[in-house]
Amino acid sequence: MDQDAERSTTIVASTSKESDSDPIARVRKLLFRQMLVGIKDGRFFLGNFHCLDKQGNIILQDTVEYRSIRRSSPSPTEQRCLGMILIPSSCRTSCHVDCSVEEQLSLIQLKE
Amino acid sequence: MQPLKLDEESSSIQHKPQNCAISSGDNSVWADVSPLLSAACTDLHEGELINGDNFNLFAAMSALEIMDPKMDSGMVSTFYSIDEAVENGFAPVPVSADSTVDVQSTIDIMDHLLVCEATWHMGHSLAQTVFSCIYVLRPEMTSSQALLHSYCRVIRATCRAVVSVVSDARTNEEEDLFTMTYGLPFNEDEDAKGLLLLNAVEETICRQLRACKATSSKKRLMEDLEPLQTNPQLEESFCKALLCRIRFRKHFLHALNCMRRPQGRGLELARKHIAYCISELDSVLESAEFLRSDVVENGNTEIEESTTASGRSPIGFDPTLNKRLSAPTPPRAIKLLSWKKAIDYYVKLLHNLDQICVFPLEPDLDAVLQFVIRFQKSRPDLVARAHLQLLLVQDGKLYGCDTFLTICARALALDVTKHHGLHNNEYILQLNQLMINLLKILCANTPWQRRKLGKILNDWSVFNVQMGISVAHMMQQDTSRTSKNGDKSLLILNHIYGWLEEQINWVALRFLMLGFDLDLYSLSEYCMVYWYMYIILWKLAEKARFRVLIIVNTEERKAKRNKEYSRDMVREDRISLWVLFLQCQTCLAQGLTVMIAALRNEGMCLKSEGPFNTENEKFVQHFELLQKASLPEYDAYESFSESTSHARLDYLPVYEYFHDAQKIAKDIKVGYANDPDKLAEVRGLEQVAERNIVAVNLFCQDRSLKVSFEFTHHPYFATAVVRRS
Repeated sequence: MDQDAERSTTIVASTSKESDSDPIARVRKLLFRQMLVGIKDGRFFLGNFHCLDKQGNIILQDTVEYRSIRRSSPSPTEQRCLGMILIPSSCRTSCHVDCSVEEQLSLIQLKE
Repeated sequence: MQPLKLDEESSSIQHKPQNCAISSGDNSVWADVSPLLSAACTDLHEGELINGDNFNLFAAMSALEIMDPKMDSGMVSTFYSIDEAVENGFAPVPVSADSTVDVQSTIDIMDHLLVCEATWHMGHSLAQTVFSCIYVLRPEMTSSQALLHSYCRVIRATCRAVVSVVSDARTNEEEDLFTMTYGLPFNEDEDAKGLLLLNAVEETICRQLRACKATSSKKRLMEDLEPLQTNPQLEESFCKALLCRIRFRKHFLHALNCMRRPQGRGLELARKHIAYCISELDSVLESAEFLRSDVVENGNTEIEESTTASGRSPIGFDPTLNKRLSAPTPPRAIKLLSWKKAIDYYVKLLHNLDQICVFPLEPDLDAVLQFVIRFQKSRPDLVARAHLQLLLVQDGKLYGCDTFLTICARALALDVTKHHGLHNNEYILQLNQLMINLLKILCANTPWQRRKLGKILNDWSVFNVQMGISVAHMMQQDTSRTSKNGDKSLLILNHIYGWLEEQINWVALRFLMLGFDLDLYSLSEYCMVYWYMYIILWKLAEKARFRVLIIVNTEERKAKRNKEYSRDMVREDRISLWVLFLQCQTCLAQGLTVMIAALRNEGMCLKSEGPFNTENEKFVQHFELLQKASLPEYDAYESFSESTSHARLDYLPVYEYFHDAQKIAKDIKVGYANDPDKLAEVRGLEQVAERNIVAVNLFCQDRSLKVSFEFTHHPYFATAVVRRS
């Protein structure tokens, strides 16, 4: 019993260590998660993270577009479904992933 | 659920909405991953991707690229929404505080809307054309301005009427953007009131026009009437310019509505409205001179390209506002027609509609088919074609009156009124469907028409075989019984079966001839095309002649009833003439086949073998659909190459094909004396024969001559032209 527990903790430790050092592996873990991307003209796209390339272009699947009705009040109120989209890195202004509070803490921790 | 709350302290590179309504999952938050992504990007090698197992590069290629103007229809341009545009004074009400400028600008809006509507008819989306106008999108906004308001309401009602015609007819396969109205604010009840309002406005302007023309003594009487605008010198011209535009709108909507009345009952009235429309359009054109007078002074030379009569750009239009509604098609920059071209388009449309209105609605299939083909010659646009189709096929009947059984039987001079059982016969039901499909296809645009005709040939021939088998079977079983009780159903079925083959060959001929309209045949392929036309024409003429025999026979039995007899005589004459007409074409096709084959065999004309395809392959490419429908039943290519390989120039003058054609053409000209269109066509055929006789004589004597082909006398039958090289 004790041995098993020890082994499992080491596995967790080793994986977390690995991902600490390797951002690629950590991004890989974000695949298929809900991602919210904001772009220059004020729109937001919510979709499943599908792909990222060297240049920072993102592909999302099953995306919904959110847009605001007025420039002055940027609260998105209109939405429509777009399917698969490619967001070039040049127009991306923000990027968030849906995660639990603990996960967020670890992400922030690891950032530094 | 925790909404994404963005505080002011969040880092500056992140553009985040305050109080964002987009919520993350249960018990979760939005975590910023931008720094992580950029770190990962730095570590990635060139060409490396982070992706899951289900990633497919090919599928990923079809992803919509955001912020690409050719793909992303949601790109925010000037305004985020219509509301924002209105708040920013993009579409002021009234258009201008100065009443003269207001009238001027309203005319510009009317002109631009006309252009938008024409551009829509030509195949662009409604959202990016007519509904690029904020006044049309938000008619409630202009309720205080009767003129602009009623005009926009009528435009909306017209668009609705046109959408309903085209979507009911479904002639829009190719132009499928046309009927898309998703997300566009149509309000039927309110828009229907537009016409009443527009009438009231028209009346007011009429009085204003009268007032400004009246002498000063009378003027006092009309003092309570406010002038249209403040400049008395311009009053009359402005009133006139507005009146013709309003009246055009009014009559156009009336004409469209009349044409939709069941069984063609509104056609006569529609004609009157169409005539008004055409004359109002003339006045609209005339008004341009006055409207652009001050612009010309400013030295504006781009008037030809402009979308308004005055040459000014109109107020209140933004095609990008509704671009998102044109999805799923990619957003395209639309090139609007010019105002002049738009007017030309309407004139053509109105003439085409008029052509439909004068059609006498004869319950005669031959007449219908001839009419549709003549109508299609001017290449009518979608809206006119949709109207024709709805007129021809209503409730599964011709003009909504006669079943196709009645029509087919009438083509054979048979009477089916006593045979009610026939209407439920499975073959007759199927025949009805085939006829409806055929008429609908004939109303489609040329390329689509040809493709569909090729495809339905197969349906027709399968049906023909099935019907043939079962009719023969029934005949064997029932001969004794039917003759006793006088039930002629089986006989009628048998005759219709025979007529079916004529119809199939007619479809095949139309298919072949449309290839000339679409420029599908190259010079080197004319030989095989004319050979095939000859085969089909010959068969068609034979079947038509057979039909004359049936009519003659049934006539004898009905000889007592004078009225019907004379009607059948007319029909017989007409079909006999039609048979001669087909024979004339048969001779021409045969003559052309032999002539071109001889030229080819003697090396005076291009051979049909190119570097890519053999002649056989080309033959299959062109006629595969015909051969699948067993037209003809034997190996066509083998027969073609055998019959053409021995043609020699030496024998050419001996063949009398062109002479025969010429002789028949001379004979039938008398019969077609009352039909100017047909007469012109027969003259064309005669000339083709004449010219080809001359050409054959010339190049048989001097083989150094160059021979080329032209379609100056007939669109489908070529004339050989001989030149010294």
